[in-house]
Amino acid sequence: MFDVPGRIYVVATLLPLAAFLVLLIAGATRAFFRPFRKQGGFAGGMYWVCGGDKPLKTGAYLATGCMAVAAGLGVLGLVWVLTDPSEGSIRASKWAERIDWVRIGPLDTSPQPEWELQRAADATRATPRLALALEVGYKIDQLTAVVFAMVTVISTLIFLFSLGYMADEVRETVEDHQVVERVGGGETRRGGDKNHGDHSPSPHLPPSHSGFHRRGRFGRFFLFLSLFCFSMLNLVIADNLFQVFVSWELVGVCSFFLIGFYYERPSASAAANKAFIVNRIGDAGFLVGIMVAWSYCGTLNIEELTRRVRSPEADSHGTYELASRVIRVNADPIPAAATAATPRDYSLEPRDKPGTGSHVLLFPLAWEEPTHFHGPGYGKHKDNVFEVPPRSDYLTYGVMPYALFVLMGLGIFLGCVGKSAQVPLQTWLPDAMEGPTPVSALIHAATMVAAGVYLVGRCYTLFAPEVLLTIAYIGVITLFISATIALVQTDIKRILAYSTCSQLGFMMLALGIGGWVAGLLHLITHAFFKALLFLCSGSVIHGCHHEQDIRKMGGLRRKMPVTAFTMLVGVLAISGAPLLSGWYSKDQILATAMGYGIEHKQHILLMVLPLVTTGLTAYYMFRLWFLTFAGKPRDTHLNEKAHESPLVMTVPLVLLAAFSIGVAWGWPLWDANASYLGHVLEKAQPAFVPVQFATEHHEAHEHHLTAGALALLLAVSGAWLAWWLFGWRQPADMEMYRPGGPGYRFLHGKWYFDELYDAAIVNPTITLAKAAAAVDKAPTDRPRQFALPTLDGILNTAAELFIVFGRSLRAVQTGQLRTYVLTLALTAVAVLAILTVLVK
Amino acid sequence: MTLPVVLFAVVATITAVSALGVVLAKNIVRMAVWLLFTLIGVSLLYFLLGAEFAGTVQLIVYVGGTLILIVFGVMLTAQGPLRELRTRPAEWVIGGIVGALLFGLLVTASYQIALPPASADNTLPGPGPLGLTFLGVTDVSPNTNVTGVPDSATITRKPVAYLLPFEIVSVHLLVVLVGAAYLARAKRRVKA
Amino acid sequence: MSELGMQPFLILSAFIFACGVVCIATKRNAIGVLMGVELVLNAANINVVAFARFNPAFRLDGQVFALMVIVLAAAEAAVALAIILNFYNNHATVDVDSADSLKG
Repeated sequence: MFDVPGRIYVVATLLPLAAFLVLLIAGATRAFFRPFRKQGGFAGGMYWVCGGDKPLKTGAYLATGCMAVAAGLGVLGLVWVLTDPSEGSIRASKWAERIDWVRIGPLDTSPQPEWELQRAADATRATPRLALALEVGYKIDQLTAVVFAMVTVISTLIFLFSLGYMADEVRETVEDHQVVERVGGGETRRGGDKNHGDHSPSPHLPPSHSGFHRRGRFGRFFLFLSLFCFSMLNLVIADNLFQVFVSWELVGVCSFFLIGFYYERPSASAAANKAFIVNRIGDAGFLVGIMVAWSYCGTLNIEELTRRVRSPEADSHGTYELASRVIRVNADPIPAAATAATPRDYSLEPRDKPGTGSHVLLFPLAWEEPTHFHGPGYGKHKDNVFEVPPRSDYLTYGVMPYALFVLMGLGIFLGCVGKSAQVPLQTWLPDAMEGPTPVSALIHAATMVAAGVYLVGRCYTLFAPEVLLTIAYIGVITLFISATIALVQTDIKRILAYSTCSQLGFMMLALGIGGWVAGLLHLITHAFFKALLFLCSGSVIHGCHHEQDIRKMGGLRRKMPVTAFTMLVGVLAISGAPLLSGWYSKDQILATAMGYGIEHKQHILLMVLPLVTTGLTAYYMFRLWFLTFAGKPRDTHLNEKAHESPLVMTVPLVLLAAFSIGVAWGWPLWDANASYLGHVLEKAQPAFVPVQFATEHHEAHEHHLTAGALALLLAVSGAWLAWWLFGWRQPADMEMYRPGGPGYRFLHGKWYFDELYDAAIVNPTITLAKAAAAVDKAPTDRPRQFALPTLDGILNTAAELFIVFGRSLRAVQTGQLRTYVLTLALTAVAVLAILTVLVK
Repeated sequence: MTLPVVLFAVVATITAVSALGVVLAKNIVRMAVWLLFTLIGVSLLYFLLGAEFAGTVQLIVYVGGTLILIVFGVMLTAQGPLRELRTRPAEWVIGGIVGALLFGLLVTASYQIALPPASADNTLPGPGPLGLTFLGVTDVSPNTNVTGVPDSATITRKPVAYLLPFEIVSVHLLVVLVGAAYLARAKRRVKA
Repeated sequence: MSELGMQPFLILSAFIFACGVVCIATKRNAIGVLMGVELVLNAANINVVAFARFNPAFRLDGQVFALMVIVLAAAEAAVALAIILNFYNNHATVDVDSADSLKG
């Protein structure tokens, strides 16, 4: 354990899995023995041992405990990683391990001579493993450690919060008012669904009193949460894309379960389906990326992939111009005497025409002598010509078409687009607010959506410049669109959902324009304050008895002081108020964007939109806060019943608020660049980033103060506008329900993305499916009749024909012995006659 | 016209006529009598062919056993004044046609097969060699190659033993007889 | 005997065989059917013995088969009669046309 401290991460990852398994087995056992619960003996005893009639409360505490231990280990690991002075191979052996999972290729353990040479010369470089194996492994660097600690700490707090929030589920029977009931065969929508189903600003319908009754699902909730946390942690520590993909899918399926936790509500189950299906689109892209990487590089280990597609960072002579770059080459003309077995030559693209090479050079994982590649002028034949055998492997140079390299990056990024809810796959995230609020906090603020950003950061070395630009533009489009939609939303959780989209857009933008540290720093800080905001909204919803419409709230700060105060902290943090964590990360992002925009005038949009959005963010977040907590209560009935949440919920709020304030602090406090967390992340930054984006970073430093001042100005004006409109003027109840102009409707309709997808994809698909069904199925009113144009009809007709044929054959079976004999004799006659004819 | 030919003509006529009688007779008892003559005729044919043992067995088992069994059957199932079960004329016609066709085809076929040369030896092995054959002790078949098969190919006979088939048949018979006794046993009528 | 040849035996056998088949096909009395079966068996036996007589290769085998067929015929008759008796007990008739429970 102390030799390989990385293993504490494995333990921490497996703890939630253990909790999940315990809950699962207990639940399954209980379900199995349920029929015997009235009886004594072993069977009945097992039922009561595994929880009995009540939801599994002990299991929930166990899961929370496991998570807390994992968080402790995560923090311990973070401290250990940061204080570990070792470097090179020693560090690698301490913080990374890998084993085969499925080996497809040969398992040749004999040391290759090249490796021996290489080890003799450079012991710091890890020995590559033979290719064609799916592996499991972990690799801990500063980024992993920070994200791991973030995920575990936030998860623990959310688990704790859930113990209070989900208290309703502890009861044996739970009444759910929002479930559609079938009345006389037809479906009628009841209760809160009205608000989620259509978005006409009509008054809220009173909840039905004949609610749907079901068993409490306290244990199940924690079961899913535990599995989710395990998946997320596994994703974070994974050292190869395949393991990431498996966790990725697990995360997806857990979010499906959790969004659809109240699956009796049609809106919840539809949202779960939507999230799952939209994520599948992204995952398909991810899979494409993985397959390209696998086919060309023969490995999925991220570090090895990096070493294949990028030139070595240093050689025995130190760093050089082309260090850690994607090297593009052109194929030389094939000599006349070449055969299929002849290696082909590729030469470096001309230096005066960069970016024209048709292929990407793949580097060997092991060198015959230490770091053979020395940059320009030092190529294999001293003239930058590389010899690529027809079947290249990890010991030789290889090539990969540049278009496929771009495709690989785009594919991986598409997966991240789906998970991180970026345009055009952002539509699932707001709908996913159907899940319980802690789920929204866990999945849709702190972890799952963070997975996409994290993976972009992890696979940063695999992205071509074109891919990075795509990432930047997707990010900037998302951040702007989501922020504008959030301006007019009235559901407390949906506003937060859109702000999540928007903030994720900020991160993507930063990553796309070279702000690797800025983007990932924002990932961390955002995780804390967004979890805080979501939990606060959960506390509000809990206190208001599941009311989510902020138009009906107001004046809640007297009823819920802790929630109001902590939420104000979150609002300030997300708006970028100085000295709060959001300020540090956002300031860095904006500075990077400004540097990029100034350097590349054609991409000025990448600078303008984030700045504008900073103002929008402040506006809608303060609007939310003012409408919820400030002023006079608009719905007195609601206000009277509202109450502050219990301690188990408010303590996590306070802790998260503390994190939201101070997680990014450094010394000096007032210097946005001095964030300690930022410096930690900077150590994990891929080496090529400062080189490739040198001029942009320089510009960013130049205009750092300008960007910060502009952002602050815009944020303050946004916040002031919100105060003026909703804090000072105190809008009346009816005024809130008034529909606005076309622009308002456009934003309220969420830019009509859903409608566009419905029209462009969903409806055509349904039409196609219906057409296929029309071809396939006989009309239901005539199920057994011949409907020949349909497939069913044809098959039914065939079947009917055989039935008719069989009926006619029935007459042959007379039951008359003598008829049979006659037939037999006739057959004999026939056979004999045939034989007589044939033999002759 | 040697004696065997005359004898064959007489016996064959008797047999054929009585077989026809079985077919044409309406009364079941008369059918049984016609069948008796047919069976005796067949046994006479065996004697003519030199298979005395087979002929004897035919007489004893068939005429003395099977036929009596059938007559018992007739007696046990007689319904009052022996009622005749009429067959429709159309069925007679169809049956006749099928029978005629079958006969014609079989005759045609018998003309098509390559007949082996008649052996000079007029006698077939008696019960002694037969019994020994069952046991596999001797083989009185020609030990040399025989050319009696239709395609004139030579075959080499190995000593044969019918002990095993004989035993199988015996056990089979035993089972069959037990079964027959079981089926035909007197049963207590169940009141409806 | 040698001038007679095998042909007449085969023809006679064919005739008896045809008679047997017609008998089975036309008689409604179950015992009549049984008699038809006996005729068919006898026809086959004549063939077998004739082959034994005229083909040296089958001198023993022919007789052996004839004997087996005779014995089997006896057993078959016993079983058939048992079945007929049972049928008669249940249906009070031996008309095979009334045994049509297997009608499709």
